[in-house]
Amino acid sequence: MQDVIKQLVELYGPTGREDEVAEYITEVMRPLVDQVYADTMGNLIAIKRGPADAKKIMLAAHMDEIGVIITDIDEHGFLRFSNVGGVSAFTLIGQRVRFADGTIGVFGQEKLDEIKDLKYSKMFIDIGATSREEAEARINIGDVAVYHREYTLQGQRVIAKSLDDRIGCAVLIETARRLKESPHEVYFVFTTQEEVGLRGARTAAYSVDPDYGIAVDVTDTGDTPEAHRMAVSLGKGAAIKVKDSSVITHPAVKDLLVNTAKAQGIAYQMEVLERGGTDAGSIHLSRSGVPTGAVSIPARYIHSPSEMVDLGDVDDCVKLLVAVLEAPLI
Amino acid sequence: MTGKDLLQALSGGRGVSGYESDLVPLLTKAFEPLVDQVKEDKLGNLVMLRRGSGSEPRKRIMLAAHMDEIGLVVTGYEPGGFLRFSNIGGIDERVLLAQTVVVHGKKDLVGVIGAKPPHIQEPGEQDKSVKIKDLFIDVGLDDETLKELVAIGDMATLAQAPIGLLNDRYAGKALDDRAGVVVMYLCLEILAKLSHTADVYAVATVQEEVGVRGATVSTYGIVPDIGIALDVGHGDIPGVPAYDTLPLGKGPGICIGPQVHPKIYDRLLELAKKWGIPYGIEPATRPGGTDAYAIQITQHGIPTALISLPLRYMHTPVETLEWSDLEAAARLLAMFICSIDSEFVEGLQCF
Repeated sequence: MQDVIKQLVELYGPTGREDEVAEYITEVMRPLVDQVYADTMGNLIAIKRGPADAKKIMLAAHMDEIGVIITDIDEHGFLRFSNVGGVSAFTLIGQRVRFADGTIGVFGQEKLDEIKDLKYSKMFIDIGATSREEAEARINIGDVAVYHREYTLQGQRVIAKSLDDRIGCAVLIETARRLKESPHEVYFVFTTQEEVGLRGARTAAYSVDPDYGIAVDVTDTGDTPEAHRMAVSLGKGAAIKVKDSSVITHPAVKDLLVNTAKAQGIAYQMEVLERGGTDAGSIHLSRSGVPTGAVSIPARYIHSPSEMVDLGDVDDCVKLLVAVLEAPLI
Repeated sequence: MTGKDLLQALSGGRGVSGYESDLVPLLTKAFEPLVDQVKEDKLGNLVMLRRGSGSEPRKRIMLAAHMDEIGLVVTGYEPGGFLRFSNIGGIDERVLLAQTVVVHGKKDLVGVIGAKPPHIQEPGEQDKSVKIKDLFIDVGLDDETLKELVAIGDMATLAQAPIGLLNDRYAGKALDDRAGVVVMYLCLEILAKLSHTADVYAVATVQEEVGVRGATVSTYGIVPDIGIALDVGHGDIPGVPAYDTLPLGKGPGICIGPQVHPKIYDRLLELAKKWGIPYGIEPATRPGGTDAYAIQITQHGIPTALISLPLRYMHTPVETLEWSDLEAAARLLAMFICSIDSEFVEGLQCF
């Protein structure tokens, strides 16, 4: 599983350009399921068929990662940019980004009176070009770059870019690998465009038309020095979502997850996320409604190039999903 | 059950957004004599169908009033038997101080939101409102028992019981929008004595307060020819210009704005005048904020209207309204439903 995580987080896959990630996941998932296909939005849908009267359960993890998009190239070859998804200007200071063709860029900023005045419009990307022509030979307006960072495993903890939500993708893959028999028809859906408004999940849920939905994504923690108050910690188990800005977990799904975790002795914690959304927000509002919940992997420093998760939590998430999928519902 | 009994029972009932199911038995019992079918959909919207007398296929009119209320969710524990919490929906944190609440743990527990006495406050503390993150609930239990009975993620509601005021006015929590649910009830009572050709789907929707979510999916399931949302509008209070409010006791507000189909609006006005039903006009410049917004943009689009009940002190435990406004809204709705024929519905397709 660690190798899958390493491969996934080092891939290039900003919102709207998830194809490299989809290609990799297709190869990994093909032997584990009955059918794999991509839809118009680029969502990758992998189906493990069930008996004839099986309920359809949709698991969703998003493939896309946040990035920056080039808006202008000046005469000296400096690139101006905007964000794709939630990127803080402050996080970008000193960072490197990578474009689809492998070009590396670094961030610089204009002279500022005070650092609090920093915003994208005061920043630029330097790819080492000496002229507009030289820059344009490699980069076009509209090209998107992602954080350039390698995977690090230190003890139980993974440090990497785009764990949001490649770790969710890894959880789905591992769940498919461990799931032997299920009374349900399971749709492992690797979604696109979550970071710009849960868009891939919206069309995927419409076409899959599931009976139940479970999103798998990262969630915030409150366990770092002087953090905001939140009762989720790294290393204390799978987080079962109660609510976020996009969804209030259906009580029946919440109870199913909690009762399964208790019965199987899987470590879990309850997640009340005050800000942020997940694919569950789109899935539960699909068509005439889908009871939906979410299993979250606790993560620190979300949307930075150094997100951190605990492999024990990741394993708990897989165990919980496998246990839920192996048993009859309710 | 009289409408007033239902209003008080609903105001005292418990149902934070996403957790409305406790209200279902009460509503089912009240509405069953007036409708042909009561059904809960997958997200918990309660869909109550009263069939019309027309021949099939009949036109469908959907009424929507939301049954969820804003509330609190437990986010953590503090040593000493205290609970930390956050909001569900648009809670005004300034009004939480010193409220009584009900925490919906393994069993319902009454609690209080404590406040720091004036004697021991730091200088300047009284000039600032207390933030929700600094508030806590005290249910009077020790740490261990508390953790046994209350889990993180459990919901809590304000405890305030409804109060009858003079002039048939009522004050209480959750009148936004359970008063709208009562209007649907009164409307169906009137319809039971009249003839209407269209099918009426009275929907007590869920999760309005967190983004009109129940209406989004229930409308998709029904696909009505006409949708009418019933919600509350700001009542007249000192310090707010009259043009931003609806006076209590002068009838419901008929909303005009981007989410309202002009021909339904015209018909509502025409009927109010014809039958001498008091009304106000409520201009809405933005489409969001009520179930009407979700209904209108469902599937291929639904001609929609919005009726607002004047309500003072919205999103507080003392929301105040006048009974006569509910009756007027119900009459207007009933007259509208009786007036609907195929010709009108087809006319809605062209502006």
